[in-house]
Amino acid sequence: MASGAVAGCLGALLGLGGGVFLVPFLNAWFGLDFKTAAAISLVTVIATSSAVSAGTTGRNLINLRLGMLLEVASAAGGVAAGITVARISDVTLERGFALVAALIAVLMISRLERRNIIVGSAVDPGPLGGRFHDDESGCEVAYQVRRLPVALGVSFVAGNVSAAFGIGGGILKVPVLTAWCGVPMRVAAATSSLMIGVTAVASVPIQYANGYVNPPLAAAAVLGVLIGSRGGLWFAGRVPAKWLKALMAVVLIMVSIIYLRRSL
Amino acid sequence: MRLDASSLDRLEAHLGRLLVTGVIVSAALLAIGLGLWLANPQNGIALWLLNAGLVVLMATPMMRVVVSFAEYVNMRQWFFAGVTILVLIELSITVLFALSRRR
Repeated sequence: MASGAVAGCLGALLGLGGGVFLVPFLNAWFGLDFKTAAAISLVTVIATSSAVSAGTTGRNLINLRLGMLLEVASAAGGVAAGITVARISDVTLERGFALVAALIAVLMISRLERRNIIVGSAVDPGPLGGRFHDDESGCEVAYQVRRLPVALGVSFVAGNVSAAFGIGGGILKVPVLTAWCGVPMRVAAATSSLMIGVTAVASVPIQYANGYVNPPLAAAAVLGVLIGSRGGLWFAGRVPAKWLKALMAVVLIMVSIIYLRRSL
Repeated sequence: MRLDASSLDRLEAHLGRLLVTGVIVSAALLAIGLGLWLANPQNGIALWLLNAGLVVLMATPMMRVVVSFAEYVNMRQWFFAGVTILVLIELSITVLFALSRRR
C-alpha cells in the first residue's frame, strides 16, 4: 500500500501510472512473479488514470482530441503486443527499455529551459493544439501540436510494451510529447494520465480472467495509489513546469538503471 | 474537424463526473472488501466485494470512451467519433477475449 502511495504520487505529478516503479518493487520485495506483479501494476495504472484525470478536469489541461487520437495508436500497440512480446526475449526487452529511458532522459535535460507555450490570445493553436490558463505566468497561453507522427509512433510503442512491463506508458509518452511535439509539460502529463487508463484496460481484463490479479493485493495497491495521487495532484499545481521536467529526467535515469540491472 | 471550446468543456466536465463516480465506488468496494478479507480470508462476501471493486475500476475508463463517443456523435464531430469507435472496438475485443477465458 505504501509503495502504491509513492507510485500514485509520482504518477499524478508526471502523468505516469507509476507501474514503472511498482513492478520491480512488487517483484523484488514481495517475491511476486513478474506476470502477477505486472498485472497488479496495470490495475493500479487504471486507478491512477481515473483519479488523476478526475482531479485535473475543468482546467483545460487535458487535451481530449490529442488524447483520443493517440489512444488509437496505443491500443493498436496493445493488440500487436501479443506478436512482438512472443518474439523478443524478456532480457532484450528490458535492455531496450533501459536504453530508451536513458536516451529520453538526455533529450529531456537538453530541452529543460524551453517552454512550449505561446503567450497571447491572438495565436491560432491549430486543430489539435489548445489554450489554458498558465498559473506560472499568470496569463492565457496557447500551444500547437507538432510532429504528430512522432507522437503516434511513441504511443504505439508505449501501448506495445504496456502489458509486457505492467506500465501505462506515460514514461515514454510524456517526455517525447514535451520535448519534440510542442506539448507543454502540464498538458502532456494531464493528457497522458487520461490515456494510460485506456492503455491498461486494453490488457488487464485478460490478465484478470487468467487469474494473475490477486484481489486483496490489488485492492491494497489501488488504495495506496489513490491516496498518493491526491498528494501528487496537490504538488503538481504548486511547482514550476521546469522542476517537473527535471524530476521526469531523474525518474527516467532511475528507471533506466533499474531495468538495466534487472537484465544483467 | 474544429470543435468549439464550450462543447469540449462540457465533455470534459461530464467525463470528470463519470471518473469521480467510478473511482469513489470502486475505492469503497475495495476498502470494505479488503477490511472484511483481513478479518477473515475465507469470507465469500469479502472476495465478492474485492472483485466487484476491480470490475468497476476496469469499467470506468471504458465508460469514458463510450461517453466520449456518444458526445462526439452528438456534436457531429465525425472524425473524433470515428477515432473513439476504433478504440472501443479494440477494448471490446479484449473484453470478449477475457469473458471467453473466464468460462
